[in-house]
Amino acid sequence: MKDTYDAIVVGAGPAGCAAAYTLAAGGVSVALLERGSKPGSKNMFGGTIYRIPTEEIIPGFWQKAPLERAVISDQLWIMEQDSAVNIGFTGLKYSIPPYNKFTAIRTDFDSWFAQQAVKVGARLYTKALVKELLYEKKLLGKGPINGVKMDTGDKLYANCVILCEGVNAFLTKQAGLRSKIPPHAMTLYCKEVLELPGHIIEERFNLEKGLGAIMGMVGYPTAGAVGKGGIWTNKNSLSLMVGGYLDQLAQKKLSPYILLQRLKQHPLVRKLIQGAKVIEYQAHMIPKGGYHFIPNLYSDGLLVAGDAAVMISGRRGTDLAMLSGKYAAEAVIAAKAKEDFSAETLRSYQVKLNNTFFMKDIKSSRNVLDYYKDHPDSDFLMSKFINDAAYHYFTTGMQSEKKVLDNITKELTILQLPLKSIKDIYAGLKYWGVF
Amino acid sequence: MDMIKEIRAPLEFNQHKVDRQSHIAIKDAGLCKKKCTLKPCTYICPSQVYTWQNHSLRIDYARCVECGACHAFCQENILLNYPRGGFGVEWRY
Ligand SMILES: Cc1cc2nc3c(=O)[nH]c(=O)nc-3n(C[C@H](O)[C@H](O)[C@H](O)COP(=O)(O)OP(=O)(O)OC[C@H]3O[C@@H](n4cnc5c(N)ncnc54)[C@H](O)[C@@H]3O)c2cc1C
Ligand code: SF4
Ligand code: SF4
Repeated sequence: MKDTYDAIVVGAGPAGCAAAYTLAAGGVSVALLERGSKPGSKNMFGGTIYRIPTEEIIPGFWQKAPLERAVISDQLWIMEQDSAVNIGFTGLKYSIPPYNKFTAIRTDFDSWFAQQAVKVGARLYTKALVKELLYEKKLLGKGPINGVKMDTGDKLYANCVILCEGVNAFLTKQAGLRSKIPPHAMTLYCKEVLELPGHIIEERFNLEKGLGAIMGMVGYPTAGAVGKGGIWTNKNSLSLMVGGYLDQLAQKKLSPYILLQRLKQHPLVRKLIQGAKVIEYQAHMIPKGGYHFIPNLYSDGLLVAGDAAVMISGRRGTDLAMLSGKYAAEAVIAAKAKEDFSAETLRSYQVKLNNTFFMKDIKSSRNVLDYYKDHPDSDFLMSKFINDAAYHYFTTGMQSEKKVLDNITKELTILQLPLKSIKDIYAGLKYWGVF
Repeated sequence: MDMIKEIRAPLEFNQHKVDRQSHIAIKDAGLCKKKCTLKPCTYICPSQVYTWQNHSLRIDYARCVECGACHAFCQENILLNYPRGGFGVEWRY
């Protein structure tokens, strides 16, 4: 076994695969270490892979990669007990190559992605849990990082380590780069994979063969906590998930598993999943921390990318993981050319990230968390109001239009003081992204 | 949510390679008993790894799907590691 590389990448998710791919393609020797028995076996998401950013790593990936359906339709259901206001968009341009985005199954996608890195020369180790970072010995204190130690006690050495270890980021914390992230900056989701024949999916979601839809759901699914539900259409299964901010789930004594079972009983959801068989149950967190909680992204011989680096913006995660993994790898390639892996050289990674569109997005939404922390009822009130208003509006009765609108305003007044409500609704709309 | 008591294993669908050693530990069992009235780990864990039985916390680590929520919520008292390489949950989808 070769035990020395130019670089070691920890974790074969989107960030790690993109980093290893970029390094190997750039002529840097790299080991990609994954604790699961295969890449993707520990990973789950909704989820959607976005074409344009993913092509930054592998152009034309969608012609070869294992993808489920090309998504043409996005719906948002604002739900109450017995109603839903639906906002949506269907774009038929997305039904033809090169498409826009795809549903995917992570065990398939991550495995494929890791194999692309292997093809250009990366060495993949699976069942390889990294327990510790190794530091060069110095007379006083620690020197720069020079390798990793596995749970088996085996050691691998390298000039540089890129941590792509995902949301829990145990090693990033161990290295002192990331502080504790409080529960109000984390969301927890659970998901069932529901088997259903492809043609039934197409019938129920009004889709042409091979095309897909996504449904976001707010209000009812989270029983008063701020969070979301969602359905993704795969080839022969649906992914149904629900979850929300960890602090709110805890305060409201909500079990994510029960929320999922409750959502499955909702009359509008029940119809969509009727006859489907549960084939897997998954759960995962998203670091919604945003700008305040981005860790230090580099130190001597060390870089952090993807979820471990809190690279999440709205519904986007896999793509930002890949892009940050790629940029980290580019910093390492430059460092290798200089034979200098010090923090000073690796700082170019931070500089590059600061200039990306997504860092700007992450920065500009930095107040979302505070908003939700201060307004734990916001989703619930919004959803209730919008549905009540819709009932008033759509009920064909014996009132003038003006009277109908007056009633809607009254509804708003009952929910909260009017002034506060209008402000809240405005703020709510502003902060209301799906995922 | 009282329904919680009635849940059966959500895990009958999953493939787990269970290690003989646990990857979860509690630092101070006294804290659970005396200081933690709500015991959020017993409902926040999406897989019901934690249950309160006979005045103490029971940890059925074999059920764990490695999301990290328990540790993120109770950082002071839950020591969570990942299972050894190749062990634990193995998702197929
Ligand atoms: C419910 C949900 C829905 C989502 N929906 C979407 C979506 O629709 N679209 C989207 O773009 N994003 C979505 N995301 C976000 C997206 O999944 C993540 O942002 C993305 O997976 C992050 O990639 P990563 O490579 O940083 O981390 P991960 O994908 O978590 O990969 C980390 C890898 O590191 C391995 N690992 C960890 N520690 C070690 C160690 N010590 N030693 C060895 N290996 C280790 C893990 O096993 C894993 O393979 C969603 C997330 C969730 C939870
Ligand atoms: S482990 Fe933490 S959350 Fe669970 S009972 Fe003990 S102190 Fe409370
Ligand atoms: S990691 Fe997740 S599944 Fe495992 S015990 Fe903690 S909360 Fe439960």
